[in-house]
Amino acid sequence: MYILGQQLVNGLILGSIYGLIAIGYTMVYGIIGMINFAHGEIYMIGAYLCAIFLALCGVFGVDSLPVALMITLFFTVLITAVYGFSVERLAYRPLRGHGRLAPLISAIGMSLVLQNYVQLSQGARDQALPSLYSGTLRFGTAEEFVQITHLQLLIVVVTIVSMLALSWLIGRTALGRACRATQQDRIMANLLGINTDRIISTVFVIGASMAAVAGILITLNFGSFNFFIGFIAGIKAFTAAVLGGIGSLPGAMLGGVILGLSESLFAGFVNTDYKDVFAFGLLVLVLVFRPTGLLGRPEVEKI
Amino acid sequence: MDVTRSLKDAVIATVLAGVLFVPIMGMVLHATSLDFRLTRVAVMLVLVFFGRIGFSLFVQTGASRHVLGALQPLRDSWEEAKSALQGRTALILAGLLVGLVVFPFLPVSSNYVMQVFTLTLIYVMLGIGLNIVVGLAGLLDLGYVAFYAVGAYSYALLAQYFGLSFWMALPMAGALAAAAGCLLGFPVLRMHGDYLAIVTLGFGEIIRILLTNMVWLTGGPNGMSAPRPTLFGLHFTMRLEPGQLSFHDFFGIPFDSSHRYVFIYLILLVFVVASVWIFKRLREMPIGRAWEALREDEVACKALGINHTTTKLSAFTLGATFGGVGGAFYAASEGFINPASFTFIESAIILSIVVLGGMGSIAGVVIAAVTLTLLPELFREFENLRMLFFGMAMVFIMIWRPSGLLRVQRKRFEEIGHGG
Amino acid sequence: MKLKRVHYLLIAAVVAIVLIVVFMQGGEETGATIKIGIAGPITGPYAKFGEQLVLGTEVAVEKINAAGGLDGRLIEIVKGDDACEAKQARSVANRMVSDGVHAVIGHFCSSSTIPASEVYAEANLLMITPASTNPKVTDRALPTIFRACFRDDQQGNYAGDYIANVLKPKAVAIIHDKDTYGQGLADATKARLKEKYGITEVLYEGVTRGDKDFNSLVTKMKGLGVDMIYFGGLHTEAALIVRQSREQGLNATFMSGDGLVTEEFAQLAGSAAEGVLITFAADPSKLPGAKAVVDEFRARGTEPEGWTLYSYMALQVVVDAIRANGGSSDGAKLGAYLKSHTIDTIMGPQEWDEKGDPKMAPLAVYRWEKQGDSYTYIQIQ
Repeated sequence: MYILGQQLVNGLILGSIYGLIAIGYTMVYGIIGMINFAHGEIYMIGAYLCAIFLALCGVFGVDSLPVALMITLFFTVLITAVYGFSVERLAYRPLRGHGRLAPLISAIGMSLVLQNYVQLSQGARDQALPSLYSGTLRFGTAEEFVQITHLQLLIVVVTIVSMLALSWLIGRTALGRACRATQQDRIMANLLGINTDRIISTVFVIGASMAAVAGILITLNFGSFNFFIGFIAGIKAFTAAVLGGIGSLPGAMLGGVILGLSESLFAGFVNTDYKDVFAFGLLVLVLVFRPTGLLGRPEVEKI
Repeated sequence: MDVTRSLKDAVIATVLAGVLFVPIMGMVLHATSLDFRLTRVAVMLVLVFFGRIGFSLFVQTGASRHVLGALQPLRDSWEEAKSALQGRTALILAGLLVGLVVFPFLPVSSNYVMQVFTLTLIYVMLGIGLNIVVGLAGLLDLGYVAFYAVGAYSYALLAQYFGLSFWMALPMAGALAAAAGCLLGFPVLRMHGDYLAIVTLGFGEIIRILLTNMVWLTGGPNGMSAPRPTLFGLHFTMRLEPGQLSFHDFFGIPFDSSHRYVFIYLILLVFVVASVWIFKRLREMPIGRAWEALREDEVACKALGINHTTTKLSAFTLGATFGGVGGAFYAASEGFINPASFTFIESAIILSIVVLGGMGSIAGVVIAAVTLTLLPELFREFENLRMLFFGMAMVFIMIWRPSGLLRVQRKRFEEIGHGG
Repeated sequence: MKLKRVHYLLIAAVVAIVLIVVFMQGGEETGATIKIGIAGPITGPYAKFGEQLVLGTEVAVEKINAAGGLDGRLIEIVKGDDACEAKQARSVANRMVSDGVHAVIGHFCSSSTIPASEVYAEANLLMITPASTNPKVTDRALPTIFRACFRDDQQGNYAGDYIANVLKPKAVAIIHDKDTYGQGLADATKARLKEKYGITEVLYEGVTRGDKDFNSLVTKMKGLGVDMIYFGGLHTEAALIVRQSREQGLNATFMSGDGLVTEEFAQLAGSAAEGVLITFAADPSKLPGAKAVVDEFRARGTEPEGWTLYSYMALQVVVDAIRANGGSSDGAKLGAYLKSHTIDTIMGPQEWDEKGDPKMAPLAVYRWEKQGDSYTYIQIQ
């Protein structure tokens, strides 16, 4: 019994990890309708920055862990956001209004650039982060228990909170209104006095900040990263976002959790080799019956 | 000339670059300590600063016009050449073809060059296939590599388990890939845009994972060896099985591995030329027009009685066939395949060929395939900067020509009547 | 129709450019230096191993060149990046052949080495891989293809014997990383356990390289009561599996192969590294002959990890063979020389058998233990 419980917890955590990256993905998609393939790379840069700033805190003799974490969080989010902004400025803005494919290719190119830039700067080796904190919650007896570390719990909480916060931002604030206007009709939004370029930049900055938060939490959790993690995480997050209905924030979270649970349960009770086949198979099956994902808006065919 | 503005822009650019470069480039993680490499960041920042100033001054002063003026004679001669060659399409095509056929026999050719050219031709074929799906039918396919893999593995498996020769296995590889295309086509009929993209991507991943995991059939990560094609039963290998006849023995010449490279290149060239011709015909046939119509407006198509099921399925099936044939050629020319050759990045490269070339354009696909296969080879000199430059080139070309290197000029109805 | 013709013109222009480039490359023929090709993953996800390969050979070349080169001729390295892809590996191999290198050191991944070796064999070029342990590399007995490390089946047999005779576990799980090296090693161990000792594992599964989350696998092993995990793969996945096992309170003995012989493993695994067992040849950096060279690497601020010293040795061997044959680049001649002579290297004298495998020192079991602030592996058998 505890095995099933533990596998459900494993799936929930993995799902939250996918969801956390997928939220940033889906946010950008929701507003400008482009697949930002470089999002995974931004997340990877977040992971590197997290480790760099933690090490820097060590160099400057910041001993208190909470203080070091706050400093790291602040600078990582800030610099990652600048990366998001610059990527949009250099690779996507010149292509606005040229269909969906040109930015897609440019994004693939950008993701190669970022991967190789980090590899050249930081070296190709896997980087390690020592476990800074290892509190654990355990339920059950000494032999048979279900456990979740505090850090994993934090990931779940942060994913839910970010999902709610961004939903609020999009649904209830002036910025969110401007975002939605930009998404529906860019030219009209422009005519109504919305600086759509600025709105899109802001969306990219928010997306990159989410990637930075994901980068920090996931790096702290697994303790290992390299310049290639963004690619794998990006594909999984993209899958999660589409499964939930791309553009929908609760959908990204839901898609992530379903993906995580299905991978964990399949790996745990059937076979690890085929867990990705199962996850993608499930995706295809869901999309056959709901062609716009679980929570995606059904496409209205205009006549 | 606005020097203050230029200066301001340059300072902003430098500050931004500083924020970007200082942590990642300037502080290298070494276990839990940091190596500071601030000099190289300083060099980069100086470059950014002066580069940005230089750029805005160049644009603002007449310098850019001078440069363009200096290029004018070049453009003139280009125009001249263009007009001189007009009306001689057939001649140019023939010349090009002769050039490509003669090339392997020139002294500049080597196994390396032949292999790169063969790879380029394979990419041309894949580009043509994907162009049917993405360029004509407008279905975004991020998993085209699946069909390429199916073709390559079909050939290797048929050769290994049934002893089929290249010429027997090639059509079957194409057919099996077509079947895979049809199979993928059914579930995705109702999907659009990015949902279609992720399902195709997932399909590509599923195929690759299956190939990796089914060790008993495919050898898993160890890959499989694939036999080389033969010329009327003559083999091109150094060591023969009993009862086989080799090309060099038959003609009484010493063994030279270049024979095989040239042979594969030449047969592939024939297939690519045929593919180009098929693609051109397809586009003019009713089915091709139906694809393009479906791309532009699905609802209108349905209203006009175009059967969108068969139209979409045929696009997937035909596109996959080209992928399968390309895959069989890949397996035959490499002689060894493993699942690692069929990752998502391969799909991305093929898609880039279609988009960079200009969707639906055949010449564009050729140019883009040549560019994208040769660039990484040319960048070999830069060693580890190679892929960085490759990525940059992708971004730059896209920004420079957002609708591809060549834009497709759609034929008007009358022109078709007069023989395209 | 006008635009169409421009298309063909453009094609012609591209072809012309290609030809020019090709011509330019054909022009650089020099006889003053001896070129040695180094091929491996310089970019891509396995670039860290390419770094070891390049580092090891570069240091060796510097040393040889400082001592006057090879009979007065300087050695020049020609690098080839295959990113561990079979396709690029063959491309690099053909490039090496047309560049006129004397011999090649590489490739790294067995899946690149195997296809590339066919090109070298056809071109009669000597190739020594310092790191590909898959048996198939030399089992085809190509006359110019050599290996400077041990084979997966040797290591698998050794590990199997050790598990059955010393560890005597109740329930073994065999995990691999679905790669040529990792799966080959896991399969060899699995076969040995089953055929010689009749031990069948309770779990045999493959994980995906690059994955970070192995919690469900760990939970599964816990449910099966596994008390011994044998892993075929590299330190990156191994560190995460062992770390997540310990986090979940699964204290099974963890054992793996040469893929874990790097300080990085302990950094990634943290305190979970304690007690992890590995099989490896006598640790090269602790051999007396290698001591001076190791210090040289340390003086440059790098640790000669993993395959660095093997690469160094491979270069020594190649240079030795070329020197003994008067600067020849004839692969058959160099190969015959290696098979009939003992070569002195930093890792002791080396000999090669008929297939091209080295007759190396026997394998050993090491154990990761804490020493002072960091972890290190210590030979226990």
